[in-house]
Amino acid sequence: MQKRSYLLMLLPAVALYTVFVAYPFISSLSLSFFNWPGIGPKKFIGLENYRNVLSGYMSTEFYRALGHNIYFFVWSLILSVVPGLFFAFLLSADMKGTKWLKVIYFFPNTLAIVVVGFLWGLLLNPQWGLVNQLFKAVGLTSLARPWLGDTRTALPTIIFVTAWRGLGFYILVYLAAILGIDREMTEAARIDGASELQIAWRIILPHLLPIIATTSMLKFIWTFNIFDIVYAMEGTQGGPAGSTDVLGTLFYRIAFGGLGSSQVGMGLGATVVTLIFAIVFPVSIFYVFIVEKRVERGE
Amino acid sequence: MMFKLTPLQKILAWFFLLLLAFVNLYPIGIMILSSFKSTREIFLKPFNLPAVWRWQNYVSAWQRADFATYFKNSILVTAASIAAILLVSSMAAYVLARFEFKGRRYVYLYLIAGLALPTRLAIIPIFLIIRSLKLLDSLPGLVLVYTAGGVAFSIFLLVNFFKRLPRDIEDSAKIDGAGPFRIYWQIDLPLLKPALVTVAMFNFIDVWNDFFFPLILLSSRTKKTIPLGLQAFFGEYTIEWDALFAALNITILPVLIVFLILSKQFIAGMTEGALK
Repeated sequence: MQKRSYLLMLLPAVALYTVFVAYPFISSLSLSFFNWPGIGPKKFIGLENYRNVLSGYMSTEFYRALGHNIYFFVWSLILSVVPGLFFAFLLSADMKGTKWLKVIYFFPNTLAIVVVGFLWGLLLNPQWGLVNQLFKAVGLTSLARPWLGDTRTALPTIIFVTAWRGLGFYILVYLAAILGIDREMTEAARIDGASELQIAWRIILPHLLPIIATTSMLKFIWTFNIFDIVYAMEGTQGGPAGSTDVLGTLFYRIAFGGLGSSQVGMGLGATVVTLIFAIVFPVSIFYVFIVEKRVERGE
Repeated sequence: MMFKLTPLQKILAWFFLLLLAFVNLYPIGIMILSSFKSTREIFLKPFNLPAVWRWQNYVSAWQRADFATYFKNSILVTAASIAAILLVSSMAAYVLARFEFKGRRYVYLYLIAGLALPTRLAIIPIFLIIRSLKLLDSLPGLVLVYTAGGVAFSIFLLVNFFKRLPRDIEDSAKIDGAGPFRIYWQIDLPLLKPALVTVAMFNFIDVWNDFFFPLILLSSRTKKTIPLGLQAFFGEYTIEWDALFAALNITILPVLIVFLILSKQFIAGMTEGALK
């Protein structure tokens, strides 16, 4: 009797999660073997979609978008870990009056990604945007360029804007981890004559590695969710000339239109999803395994 | 306090800390100031204070973009989603933290796997399910998707909190014959309030700011949420920057207010999960 009421309380969460989170991934896999525009009968075509994506007419766009995602991941990882650690170290020093800084650093995280994208789109406008006017005002005219309109600078600019929004989160996570380290260890090292830099490098950094590892894994997984910022700043085509096209925008065009009706397909879109999922899934499993172990140990 | 700095190092540290604060705040300050200028003034005098504070920019943005409808939709969707997430997740977390049963570990792992899935990728089947439920272009459809999407992280946080609660009150209630649901509802839930606020904050940011699911699942103008409405507005009025800046400010104002009141809970909620 008791057991039944326990399970009834568990049921809504499990059911909703299964229908809208877990099942869609399995369903994507099965859809990937069909040619289907979204209505009417499905046509089984075996591995045809995979051939088209991996070596056929979709392959150029697919690999280009995949490359952009990896580029995005590597650079936004660097731009979150390096300054994130630097500012977390500074905030953990013996200085008064830094509390309000945390609130300021975190604030951009609360803004919708589309809002951030539109705001920076205006600021980076080649003619009237504040950024270029600022460069001109201080004499750096060569830096007053169409940042979002040049194929060489568009993706780096979007990565910068993403880092602008996200950095505060990493600073605060690393700071919380630093403040959780046993004070006695650093004190002992100090008594032994270690410099502050040595303490940071030899004692604190090794303790942060697990946190850096898990946040990096999450970042890797989330990288494949990127869509809003590109959509808001460069549109669904990932312009200019596809230089900011990521898997999210490519997938959106294939599944929900924008490529012309002949190429729109739920099956083809599901194939892209399944391929991304194959890349991400091992990392997801590894992450969940690590996190559960840590929770079990009560850390 | 982890590091001891010399006075010179402190000056350097403050220089970098204030520099970052400036980089964070300057674009937002410009956004606020620009929203009170005329478009001509934004173009020609971008760094100056507004010559005249043009509140009418807000009136015109509000009216032309139909923000009243977008706000109503966003508030409805966010409130319903948060309420559903809190109820569903806290019940499940209570069971997972308190009740020993075969396979519990696997149910828990299965649920928190959602922390590490790029859930938007699963949009095609989600779209098809919502369509077969006849919930396309409806707010309840969105609420379903958000509730399901919020479950993993919320359960993860709440199980940790439940495990920290003392068991003695529960045990004495059990002796008095209280069932699991009553213990959960009357004893544990009130003790869990701070954790529920944290979970609510986290989901508030997620749901309120989401652009992707409304883009796919909604189509009519009267159903749009704020981010989607903002996108439509930017598509229509590309050169009226006074109205665009005002519209941006209108959309961030609610988040700004909630954030300033509850910044502690916000930061706790966002960092707690990542620290594991």
